[in-house]
Amino acid sequence: MVSMLRRFLPVLYITLVVLITVTLLNFTESITRAQIEARQHERIEALLFELFPEMSDFFFEDDLYTIFDNSTEIGYAFLATGVGYAGDIDVLVGLEDATTLKGITVVSHQETPGLGDRITESDFINQFRGLDIDGVALRKDGGQVDGATGATISSQAVVDAVREAAMEKIKELR
Amino acid sequence: MAGFVREFTKGIVISNPIFILALGLCPALAVSNTIDNALGMSVGVIFVLLGANIIISLIRKSVPNIVRIPTFVVIIASFVTIVSLVFQAYVPALHESLGIYLPLIAVNCIILGRAEAFASKNPVTASIADALGISVGFALALLLIAFLREILGTGGLEVAGTSLFTLPVLSEHPLALFVLSPGAFLVIGLLLALFRRIGAIKHE
Repeated sequence: MVSMLRRFLPVLYITLVVLITVTLLNFTESITRAQIEARQHERIEALLFELFPEMSDFFFEDDLYTIFDNSTEIGYAFLATGVGYAGDIDVLVGLEDATTLKGITVVSHQETPGLGDRITESDFINQFRGLDIDGVALRKDGGQVDGATGATISSQAVVDAVREAAMEKIKELR
Repeated sequence: MAGFVREFTKGIVISNPIFILALGLCPALAVSNTIDNALGMSVGVIFVLLGANIIISLIRKSVPNIVRIPTFVVIIASFVTIVSLVFQAYVPALHESLGIYLPLIAVNCIILGRAEAFASKNPVTASIADALGISVGFALALLLIAFLREILGTGGLEVAGTSLFTLPVLSEHPLALFVLSPGAFLVIGLLLALFRRIGAIKHE
């Protein structure tokens, strides 16, 4: 009986340790949750403002942000993900209507500093302002976007991600 | 008190985790590209190592030997999760730039190494001194590497968003190599060689 107990003691011990730590983690999570959500909301709001400076409010449902200016719908925004040179590139895409882009902004990426990260510079990004959806392709593929110098793969990834995601969302919106 | 000071200074010089023990090189290579990242990482490591050493030292007599390592890992991982949540809530930019290396503190061999080699055998005060010494040693090493890499790689120094100084020629033509991974290997390699040489001279 005593040897039985001795055998189970380590199991009980680590179970107890796990129970205590999980409780403490739950507690920490509950304190920080509101703050984390507020930060994420702030961040998205700031990014949407970059695309729609006239925005007064936005509404999020089914991965789609609907942008309002004093209760008038002025556009949509959604996230697109492309596979870059060193990892995923997340891009926020703004749509003015079913055929025209409002603009794009790079949310996160891991591209090479000084080369691939030129996709975040305004020279590249501003080409998407007011661009017709059919023009979203690199110039060599018959589109209207010039790839950023030294960032061929990264530019291709952004263009492909924006086009594919926009086509899909437009289909859903119709 | 003398013991406390000895345990503390040991970690900074004679058993500096990075330059002498060559432990924790993964975060030292990955997040030493800017002073800000190095500072953030150091704060994380100081908190986790201090917390883990205290708790492990407190329970060292009650923990069954057979589940010793799993228990230590659970405790360390919990402290890491707390750091990760707090960073995410209050310094989201730092949380993002540290990325995967913040949760990876959990498997940093410095932390488990100190738990196993020190905190599980010594009383609480000594464990606190050990944790502080080792993590300050880690922080200083990380800051030294980041200092060199940021200056060479960007031509200036920026702490918490405010620029301290920019060098005239280097800021126009920065050696971007030093911000990238190969630069980390070069800087750490040269610093390791330098510290070995200093150690060898003292020995003679």
